[in-house]
Amino acid sequence: MRTACLRVPDLPLAAELRAHPELAGLPLAVASGPGPRAEVVALSPEAARRGVRLRSSVVHARTVCAALRVRVASPALERAAREALLDAALGLSPRAALAPRASGAYAGEAAAFLDASGVTSLFDSERGFASALAARADSVGLPGDVAVAGSRSAALLAARWLRSGEASHPARGALEPGRVQVLPPGCEAAFLAPLPIEVLDPEDDLAESLTRFGVRNVRDLRALPRRALSLRLGQRVLQLIALAEGAETEAPLPAPDRGRLVEAVDLEFPVDRLEPLTFALQGLLSRLLARLEARHLACGDLFLRLDLAGGGRDARRIGLAAPTRDLRVLVRLVCRALEARAPDAPVEGVALEIEANPVRRDQLDLFRPPGPAPSALASTLAELEALCGSGRVGAPEVADDHRPDAFGMGRFAASAAERRAQPGEAERSSAGCAAERRAQPGGPGPELPLAVRALRPPVPAQVRLFRGRPESIRSAVANGRVVRLAGPWRATGGWWSREERFAYDHFDVQTSDGTVARIRLDRLRQTWHVDAVYD
Amino acid sequence: MPASPRLDALLRDLGPRIRRGSLPVEPPAPLPTGIPQIDRLAGGGFPRGRLSEIAGPLSSGRTSLALALLAQSTRAGELAAVVDGADAFDPASALACGAALERVLWVRAPRLREALRSAERLLEARGFALVLLDLAAADLRVAPATWPRLARAAAASGTGLVVLSAQRATGTAAELTLHMKRVETHFRGTPALLEGFEAEAALVRCRTAPAQRTASVHLRSDAAA
Repeated sequence: MRTACLRVPDLPLAAELRAHPELAGLPLAVASGPGPRAEVVALSPEAARRGVRLRSSVVHARTVCAALRVRVASPALERAAREALLDAALGLSPRAALAPRASGAYAGEAAAFLDASGVTSLFDSERGFASALAARADSVGLPGDVAVAGSRSAALLAARWLRSGEASHPARGALEPGRVQVLPPGCEAAFLAPLPIEVLDPEDDLAESLTRFGVRNVRDLRALPRRALSLRLGQRVLQLIALAEGAETEAPLPAPDRGRLVEAVDLEFPVDRLEPLTFALQGLLSRLLARLEARHLACGDLFLRLDLAGGGRDARRIGLAAPTRDLRVLVRLVCRALEARAPDAPVEGVALEIEANPVRRDQLDLFRPPGPAPSALASTLAELEALCGSGRVGAPEVADDHRPDAFGMGRFAASAAERRAQPGEAERSSAGCAAERRAQPGGPGPELPLAVRALRPPVPAQVRLFRGRPESIRSAVANGRVVRLAGPWRATGGWWSREERFAYDHFDVQTSDGTVARIRLDRLRQTWHVDAVYD
Repeated sequence: MPASPRLDALLRDLGPRIRRGSLPVEPPAPLPTGIPQIDRLAGGGFPRGRLSEIAGPLSSGRTSLALALLAQSTRAGELAAVVDGADAFDPASALACGAALERVLWVRAPRLREALRSAERLLEARGFALVLLDLAAADLRVAPATWPRLARAAAASGTGLVVLSAQRATGTAAELTLHMKRVETHFRGTPALLEGFEAEAALVRCRTAPAQRTASVHLRSDAAA
């Protein structure tokens, strides 16, 4: 099976540069811990050129290079970078998996394998596919090397060799320049044979033993008798030989679930204001969106987790009306959630988890006026819901309920097709036709249905009665003597439930201040309210 | 090359007033209410891409007129939004007016600030034919720059923005302002029924300045229909 390997040689450094792109081009060292005696575990080429060495202490590194920028290695950033690498791979192939963590000289690398069988039907060549994969890795902030070969081990070794020794390879004439390498089918063994034994990343004691046996490169290793070698060096050497032969020994690559994407960052110091926190959140969201874009997905619901000073934790869910990839909208949503309820303590770490959902598509309607673009509408709905509160944005519905203040709110259909599919459109259209008939210019005159303005909640009123009928009203919306009156109209229901039971007497009244309102007597509680105004 | 020095001088004098020949751009059709008298008064309807206002006290018929506008837009297959700063929108009334509720986006803004921001966001989204901003019960203490900003957003999106208010609020930012007033209330029959009321729409501001200044409209209660 043709397999591609996407490899990032120095993950701690790449993860830092992905989170802090402003550090690119500067002498940068990644330290193992926060103290001055911590070791440098990764460094940028600029730092290496200025004399900084791996495994030196941070103090020493600063002495060598005064302009050195030091970042503490972050497991959260590295974990997110590793997942982003897989996302870049999944953007081009449904079957992909991360390589197991290496040890020794390649402990810092991260690699993802993906199924490259049959890609020539989509790309002009395997090299074109490899170039697209490299570009996809760039888009998620992880520039890496790509190799395509007949097996995972051959692809990984080719990718490793691309970075470390292309110029010195005996077959360098056959190698193509750049960050991608394609080994033609059947050429794996010839390519691997002259490579030094170190590219196989043997454990230290095994490497020493092989050196004592005079094994210098892959060809030497293959030439040794396996049985005798395994008797002396154990089963580990057989795995090394399988790697050297470029044989496919693992199970087929899986097709991972869409799942959730996580990005996290540990802040350098506790943050107690929203503005710097927003800055960190914007970085997290932009990285998440790059990963989503690489996989042609959109952001569903957001889960925000804040690690607070003192060991506390603040977790919250931010719902989205529709999947979106609009960074501005998502930043606004998260900020609104934080504004609505500020964290109880300064924030030391932030993690964002998002549901990866398919991008919503819409079929435009040829016979109706165009509405908003589906993606813009989805973003708008999400933002409005964050602004006004959950359940306060949607399509109005007439509730199937005799309660006078009942109303419904359904999901506002983003697409014309969904709107057409909604039940009850025919009867609503007939109501519309009836209204249209009333408004015919040739009719008895310009006539409009009289609308009511609902009062939510109903406004309490003091009503004075005369012979059991309202005589005057005092309330926040209607005041004065009752000039005209119609009613009562009785409405009862919910008798089967103590909580939902209601019994109202409604009156339409015109008061002396000119207001025409609907008032009601709650017969169960003997209270008066104004529940609507005719307008 | 100019044919003569006089033509050259004329072109220089006219300067920027000369434009390259092109077909005149037709203004977009206004949003009608379906009430001929009101539409005539407003010069065909409420203008798209402009800020308009319907002002009036309680029980003046302003909500009925706004819902008629909503009904006409949605029945024509267009999308409309109601930013309900007063939490007073009644879906049953809108349905009775003939609105296609599935094409209405209802935003129940809890406060004035959220209502204004929601309206602005809806205008930015584009594609809505009408945004009805109901501030009739709100205390309209807004920054002076708010209405021109909303008017600019409406112009950029081509959406008709109609503000419903108790007193005239939008000032010179509005292209069209109607003031509603109830003239008479009809209670008829035995037992008495609220039949409806007569309302009058007065044109307070209109940049196209039509000849007619007021129009009467009869609002009929469903109970009497």
